[in-house]
Formats: sequence, structure tokens, C-alpha cells
Amino acid sequence: MSDDYKFDTLSLHAGHVPDAQHGSRAVPIHQTTSYVFRDTDHAAALYNMELGGHLYTRISNPTVAVLEQRVAALDGGVAATATASGMAALTTAVMTICSSGDHIVASSRMYGANINLLENTLPRFGITTSFVAPDDVDAIRDAIQPNTKIIFGEVIGNPGLDVMDVEAVAAVARDAHVPLMLDCTFNTPWLLKPVSLGANILIHSLTKWMGGHGVAIGGAVVDGGNFDWGKDDRFPTIAGPHYAMNEINFHEEFGPAAFTAKFRAEGMYNFGPSMSPTNAFHILQGIETLPLRMQRHMDNTAAMLTFLTEHDQVAWVKHPTLPTHPSHELVQRMLPRGAGSIIVFGLKGGRAAGQAFIEAVQLSSHLANVGDAKTLVIHPASTTHSHISAEAMREGGLSDDMIRLSVGLEDIADITADFELGMRAAARVAAQAAE
Amino acid sequence: MKHEQDGVSIHIATGGVDFDPQGQVLVFLHGSGQNHLTWVLQSRFFAHRGYAVLAPDFPGHGLSGGTPLTSIEAHADWLIALLDQLGVGSATLVGHSQGVLVAIEAASRYAGRIDALALIAGALAIPVNDMLVETALAKPAKAARMMTSWGHGPAAHKFDNTLPGHAFLGFGRRVMEMNDQAALHADLVACNSYVRGKDAAASISQPTLCLLAAKDKMTPAKFGHKMAESIADATAVTFEDAGHFLPAEFPVEVNNALSGFLSR
Repeated sequence: MSDDYKFDTLSLHAGHVPDAQHGSRAVPIHQTTSYVFRDTDHAAALYNMELGGHLYTRISNPTVAVLEQRVAALDGGVAATATASGMAALTTAVMTICSSGDHIVASSRMYGANINLLENTLPRFGITTSFVAPDDVDAIRDAIQPNTKIIFGEVIGNPGLDVMDVEAVAAVARDAHVPLMLDCTFNTPWLLKPVSLGANILIHSLTKWMGGHGVAIGGAVVDGGNFDWGKDDRFPTIAGPHYAMNEINFHEEFGPAAFTAKFRAEGMYNFGPSMSPTNAFHILQGIETLPLRMQRHMDNTAAMLTFLTEHDQVAWVKHPTLPTHPSHELVQRMLPRGAGSIIVFGLKGGRAAGQAFIEAVQLSSHLANVGDAKTLVIHPASTTHSHISAEAMREGGLSDDMIRLSVGLEDIADITADFELGMRAAARVAAQAAE
Repeated sequence: MKHEQDGVSIHIATGGVDFDPQGQVLVFLHGSGQNHLTWVLQSRFFAHRGYAVLAPDFPGHGLSGGTPLTSIEAHADWLIALLDQLGVGSATLVGHSQGVLVAIEAASRYAGRIDALALIAGALAIPVNDMLVETALAKPAKAARMMTSWGHGPAAHKFDNTLPGHAFLGFGRRVMEMNDQAALHADLVACNSYVRGKDAAASISQPTLCLLAAKDKMTPAKFGHKMAESIADATAVTFEDAGHFLPAEFPVEVNNALSGFLSR
């Protein structure tokens, strides 16, 4: 029999044992920039990665480390590193692997900032990306070049809700010896642990369901420990002599945790994308109830899908669990607990009706976030994806009339009653337009 | 560093410092199904404190090539041949688990080559239950999961870790997956078959430090104490909250104990 704690238990305990001095049951907030070294030898050992421990909060912090270890435990990784945001996690992960001249194959249907980073920012640093449909495994394979260093996508795309077949894409990545990096913000480890299907590096925006209460921005990078960086000479900054620490070879010194060792030694050190200890504390509070919240998110999402698909004012509804979704069969196999609590839909009357809906609801909050305990709505074309070109919007499967709903934990009767307010406003606009 | 022995490429961690055979040589010997990564928090630490560190991957393990050795005696012979080829006159051996058996066998038969012993989470015999041996043959990944789970103590199961962000269980399993698929089974059979421990211990006169883990389910501490009692010049230290993977679980305490012993 395994001694390993189960998911719900790890959500509460992983990463933390009450300290011997005070016995604090809750994770203490170590709100400090620095740590007193015992002597010069101790300081040198920490700087040279001879010992574990903390030397400066830009690199690591005891409260943040609890969060990191909890996320690593929940995802089944060898390690995790927390960052100031999900975008900081992605950017630093890319910078840890890629150098100028390298190439990425990425999903064309992702969160606007993910697209922006790859399409507009990274080329300035010599890192280019080929965008392909996330559900076209052959296209992903065909887009791989000799200099491809990452295959990147979202398990459940934001906001288009395209679903990637993780196992199939992982097989392509494995054959090409390219790490598969996945943004797992919409699935969380409660819905899917992609490392178990062969994904190598996971990106989380902890701001969303993991934290779950809309109080702290944060991100994390999980190292699956299942990519052989030293198999060939394609990843010389991880599996070759590095400029730091007397030409350390992270692959030889840290084995399966080589990526994380470099991420912390170079990424956290040079780029400084650190999470604040207080934010780590807030996110830890959220993770304690992740299993409970996710179940309720799934229950309310199922109810809202029924409400929307049956409503006369609704033109279309998209969610991976609906039989009309192109990945419905995959979702049943890969995401048996549910496919997230984001629903996108369009109203009869198009964009104007959608705007009327958003301005009429009173309980649901109109804001640029998802995964909050509270129900949220937004119109992506005018907000989260407003920096994306019209062509990229179309390629990403986004329409002008799309409303993104992040289903919260309120009583479902109150959510549907609120939506009826929005529907009535939308109906008035649609009727006026028709006259 | 890479070293070729008997036509096989052998990986040896030297702690990030070029190996000097004229230095005070410290050889770290990993356990069953493990490799040099047992010693992540020892190899760099001691290499940067003046010791000439060798943490080899036995054949078929970690980054070494070749096929796994099949007996503890063969491991001891292989170790001495390695020291010969590297120009090392004598060395202190630090063994973990199966590495303890290799260390006492080498110290017994090659007494002039071994200065001292540090024996971590070990015993004079390491019998392995049939179920684990059979699982290691038929389903090595499952056996690795079982060993990683049993081998870690209570704090490790709560993912308390001195290395920020690191997860013992995930890391432990991946380390074992790096090895040749046959490695774990060969190692467990070698442990099971080794019966010279008592005789070897009786002949050991080198100073010996035994570091034992009170929560060790793989080689319970009571057998470690018997080992210490069987060696003429041995001292035992027990870590109350540690499991079998003591070097990773309590690296600071282990390194302090080793440092004190080495500078005696």
C-alpha cells in the first residue's frame, strides 16, 4: 500500500510542516527580503547551490516555497517555481529553454497575452513561433523545425475552449525530442495532471482557480522531470557548462530537476519575476479548498450549460462537455471530472446584444479575470483580446459577439436569475435592431 | 566527469570541481535503483570544502552505460578498479543502503585502500521481500513508485523540502526511471544474495560512522544499530524523523555529521 497522501490531503498539507519554534499550524508569511547567513561558508554554500535554503526573496522565500511544493505535489512534478504572474511564469520558462535563433510551435488559439508574447515580443529577441491549430496533431508535427525548442499550448484554450489532445501531442513532442509545455490555468491539477500524459512543463496562472478568490496575482512553472535535456546537444544551456557557478551543468548536477535548477539560478536571479510572500499565502489559502471549489464550479457549470442551451435568446453556446464541441469525445476520455468552468456564448442580436447583457447583469461581475469564486462575465473582443488583430481573432476562432462566462460558486438560482436580467436587456436591443 | 571502464562509459559526479586524485578522496556509493543524484546535496557541498569527490553511477545507472553488476562483491571489485584507474591510493567511502553493503565489502577485502567508512541507512544484510523483487522484474516503474513511497519519511510525504520548490516523491521516481530498466531488479537480487556482511563487519578496523533513520522502512534502524555494534570502531547517530532517503531528507544534518566525522 502506498504511503502517499491523496489529492485532497495534499491540497491542505503539501509543502508545510509546522515549524519547531512556534508550531504555527497555518503557513507563516515570511515577509522578508533576506535571510541571515550563519557564517561566510553558509552564504557561499547557498549561492553555489551546495545546500537548499533561502538567500534572497527574489530567488526563493519560505512561504513561496510552501506554495511551490504544494503545486508540485498536486501536479505530480519534481519541482515547481512560483512567479509574480502566469505571464511571468511563461516568459521565464521560455527564456530558460530558448536562445536567439530558436523556434517554438504554439497553439494559434490561446490567451491574448500568450499570443502577444510569442507573436510580437519574442521575435525581437530572435525567438520565433509557428502557430498551428491545437487540435491538429499532424500540423503540430509538421511545424517542428530543427531549431524548435518548445511545443506550447493550452490544455483548454482561452477563450475559445479548444482542447488539446495532450497524450497525442506529447507523443509527437517525444518523437521530436522537444519539450511539451502546457498552460494549465483552465484545467488545474484537479481536472487533469498533464505530466501523467507525457507533458513536460506546466504553466499556471495561480491567480485563477488555484487561488480562486481574486485577491492575488501569481503564477507557477511545474517541472515534470520527464524530459531528457542531455539526450543530445540541443539544450546546451541546461545540459552543458553554464556561465554561473563555475560552469555548472544543471543536467548532470540536478538530473530530472535540471530545468527548475536553471529556472531558479538564472531565471529568478536575472529576470527577477518573484512572487510576494503575502500573495503566496493568499493563494495557499485558496488551494486548501481547491477540490471543494472545483466540484462546485463543475456542478454550476453543468447547470449553466442547461440554462444557456435552452434559452431562446442564446444564439450559440460553446463548452468542451457539450456534444456539439469538436473535442467532445476527447474531453470525455481526458477530462472526466469536467472541462472547466468557462462557457462562451453568443446572443441573438450580436455584439450590441452582448454589450447590453453585460451591462444589465447585477450579480455577475464585468471584469478581466476568470476562475474567481464569484461569477464573472466579459466581452473578449473589446477587452482581453483587443490587442489581437482581426485576422488573428478569426484564426483563433473568436467572434465579435462572444461573451465569456466564468461560472462562480453562488447559488445557481441566483446566477440564472441574474442572467435573466441580462437576457431581457439583450432581447430589447435585438428587437430594436430588427425594427 | 566521464570515465571509461571496461569499455563502458561511466558518469561520475565530482561536485562541480575537477577531481584531484591526490586530494582527500571521498567516494559516494548510491543504493538500489538510485544513481549519483542521491548525493545532490552532498557532492557539491563536500567538493567545495576541499574534498576530492567521486559519486559514480554504477553501470546501468543514471548517466553511465553498460549493464548492471549482479553482486555486491562485483560492485566492490568494480569500485577498487575505478580507484586504480583514477590513480587513487585510498579513499573514504560513504554508502547509502546498497552502497553500505558495497562499502563494507570493499573495506573488508581491500582494507589498505579504504581509510574510513560512513554508512547511511544501511545494515549488514538487506533482504528484499519477494513481492518487490518480482515487481522490479515485471514492472520496474511500479517498483520504483513503491520504493520511493516507502523510502521517504513523514516530512517528505508532506513535501517539506530544504530545496525550495522541490518534491521528494516526484524527483525520487524520476531518478529511478533514469536507470536501465533491469537495474533495480539486479540491485535487489544483489542485496538479497549478499551474505558476507557479518564476516565483513568483523574484519573492519577503519573508523566508521553509521547514520541511521528512525522512520526507515527499507532498512530499519535496529539493523543499522546491529551493524554499528559489529564494527570495532563505529559510532551510530540516529535521526528521529528521517526515512530511508536520509541524505536528501536531512541534508544539513547529514552533512554536519559527515563533516565532523571527516575532520576528526
